[in-house]
Amino acid sequence: MSLIICQEGEVYPIKKITGNDETKKFLNSLGFVVGEEVSIISKNGDNMIVNIKDSRIALGRSMASRIMI
Amino acid sequence: MSIKIGLAGNPNSGKTTLFNALTGATQYVGNWPGVTVEKKSGKLKGNKEVEIIDLPGIYSLSPYTLEEVVTRRFLIDDHPDVVINIIDATNIERNLYLTTQILEFGIPTVIALNMMDLIRKKGDHISCKALSKQLGCPVVEISALKEEGIKDAVNKAIEIAKQGRIKKFALPMMEEVEEAITQIKDLLSVHNTTLSLNNDWIAIKLFERDEEIVKQLSLDQSTMTQIEEIIKACEIELDDDCESIITSERYAYIGDVVSHVVKKGNQSKETVSDRIDKIITNRFLALPIFVLIMWFVYYISVSSLGTIVTDWTNDTLFGEIIQGNMQNFLETANVAPWLTALICDGIIGGVGAVLGFVPQIMLLFFFLAILEDCGYMARVAFIMDRIFRKFGLSGKSFIPMLIGSGCGVPGIMASRTLENDKDRKMTIMLTTFIPCGAKLPIIALFAGAMFGGASWVAPTVYFMCITMVVICGMILKQTKLFAGEPAPFVMELPTYHIPGLKGVLIHMWDRGKGFIIKAGTVIFVACGLIWFLQSFSWSLEMVEGEGSILASIGNVVAPIFAPLGFGNWEAAVATITGLVAKENVVATYGVLYGIADATEETSDLLSVIAANFTAVSAFSFIAFNMLCAPCFAAVGAIRREMGSWKWTFIATGFQTFTAYLVALLINKVGTALLLGGSIIEAIIAIAIVAIVIISVFIWGRGKSQETSFDV
Repeated sequence: MSLIICQEGEVYPIKKITGNDETKKFLNSLGFVVGEEVSIISKNGDNMIVNIKDSRIALGRSMASRIMI
Repeated sequence: MSIKIGLAGNPNSGKTTLFNALTGATQYVGNWPGVTVEKKSGKLKGNKEVEIIDLPGIYSLSPYTLEEVVTRRFLIDDHPDVVINIIDATNIERNLYLTTQILEFGIPTVIALNMMDLIRKKGDHISCKALSKQLGCPVVEISALKEEGIKDAVNKAIEIAKQGRIKKFALPMMEEVEEAITQIKDLLSVHNTTLSLNNDWIAIKLFERDEEIVKQLSLDQSTMTQIEEIIKACEIELDDDCESIITSERYAYIGDVVSHVVKKGNQSKETVSDRIDKIITNRFLALPIFVLIMWFVYYISVSSLGTIVTDWTNDTLFGEIIQGNMQNFLETANVAPWLTALICDGIIGGVGAVLGFVPQIMLLFFFLAILEDCGYMARVAFIMDRIFRKFGLSGKSFIPMLIGSGCGVPGIMASRTLENDKDRKMTIMLTTFIPCGAKLPIIALFAGAMFGGASWVAPTVYFMCITMVVICGMILKQTKLFAGEPAPFVMELPTYHIPGLKGVLIHMWDRGKGFIIKAGTVIFVACGLIWFLQSFSWSLEMVEGEGSILASIGNVVAPIFAPLGFGNWEAAVATITGLVAKENVVATYGVLYGIADATEETSDLLSVIAANFTAVSAFSFIAFNMLCAPCFAAVGAIRREMGSWKWTFIATGFQTFTAYLVALLINKVGTALLLGGSIIEAIIAIAIVAIVIISVFIWGRGKSQETSFDV
């Protein structure tokens, strides 16, 4: 399932990042890679703040929906 | 021998702080990613031979964002002798992703481990020695903020730049990938490349199908097909795409390095920043908190404390002390009356009217600097994204607007952080809707004259402006020029920290000083000119008021503003002079009526404004001056960022037209509702605005259908 339906405060390993384009490349360079653990700090509507590799990243809906866990 | 040092690293890792510490410059440092959008260069303090270049923050060397393109071009084209790669030790893994790419690139590199104090506080341990051994390059521990270890880092950089010899770095890879890259390298060695670059790096970039490098290399068709075949074969073998293969190789290597270098202490699950974020970005509380904070900031800086200080500067400092004494001095010195009038009424009156607002502006900048430094502003972009996106704007558009609340010029420039060209153009057009420091006096002056300095006026104007940004964004999105989804939102959020007083004061001064400098230059000249035009008639006789050159010019223009409720020549002239610099709006009134009169309780200026305006027309005047075309400096910035005059005219024309409609609506509807004015006129005004909006929608829809047929 995709990151947008996840619960605040939970930790999930990333299974897949869909698509294959510049956006995926950028997500990769931010630390979103398969196998990495991502935890959800806060949700604001469909936007969320997550923790990955010790940094805090704010993600919009369309970004979050591409991260499968 | 001169040495060129490039500072590279992740966004918000402290590059600009280090740059300032090394060069003694005072470049703008902000606690959010993407503050530096262009490279800046300076000379090392104490050694003019060494040039230091501050590069925009990047996450990788693949050209995804504008910042990455700038940094990469610098590395390729400008041939720096050495790179200092700054690493934020608190998220070393992510930072090393870029490091491996820089090392691959083959330029001598020194790693500067920043923010180690935070690591120690967390109870973790990072060994510089082990890291240096793993990566094969010098590693120096620094604190850019406290200026510790920075000398060592630079000396080390100079040392290895002079040696000029590099320990080759090669990312360990799976056999299959290694083989593919060697094959590509072999192809390259036959081919004569014009680029003086490391072949290993080029081969990896080609393997990643990096379009920039393909363009720069201009390889012939057959070589390209051969390379593509090699990549395809490898992709099939490993059942993954080339990019992901390299990415996972990179992270695998980094994971290995980190396991040798970092010792984690006791792991606490939730940091303080996480806990703050839970409340501040909460879906229900986020907006009320934002509104409350902004209201508090404007209440203190514009209404309560700010007014007291500004009143004192206007009435006592400029009115009594400077203007009064100067008048006495000039009169006893028998200076010609016209010259006395020029100096006292024209220049001191006008410039003084502007300078009087310096305390309010400084207070506002002080609070904004605190909000920025502590890390809240980056959250605001995140919070606003949820709302902005509904109207087709990205939350990132909010950052240029926030900077624009200081000055529109850097605000417009900050729009470069937006990845999508349509988002960027639209943000440029809407940024100057947000009142800048120079527009603030207009609000303050009218709040004082018409609304008894009520504390609701300034926040109301700000929220009106934000609302206009949203409404106009929505309308513009309907047109063919801007249709389409805004770029998806991704942004790294900095850790919260308590801002240092020194840093906050530097920010405040940085933004506020322009205001004072302008008062001494542009405003100074403008005031003299305005005084001259209002004191003389066309036949060059000294006159008062109506007969002056200024009045006759103003009277020609005034009818245009009559439907807006301020069709008098003074308001017309003030609005026009505002195009040169927005401070001129207030300065013009200052020259025309003098800033203060000590014998009366309320100053002349305020009472004249109160007599010439109604509460409604005053608000309409404020609205028009907030939204219409910005000052020349900002128009220049729009021209630079848009890259064409056509777009500059579209932007300023759109702004002025919008301002006119909004002011019309405020005046007509407000007069009908509050002052018992004509209801028919109000209805006509609403109808005009409605027709304009509907026709834009219809025109836009027609256009977007056309384009969808094209597809």
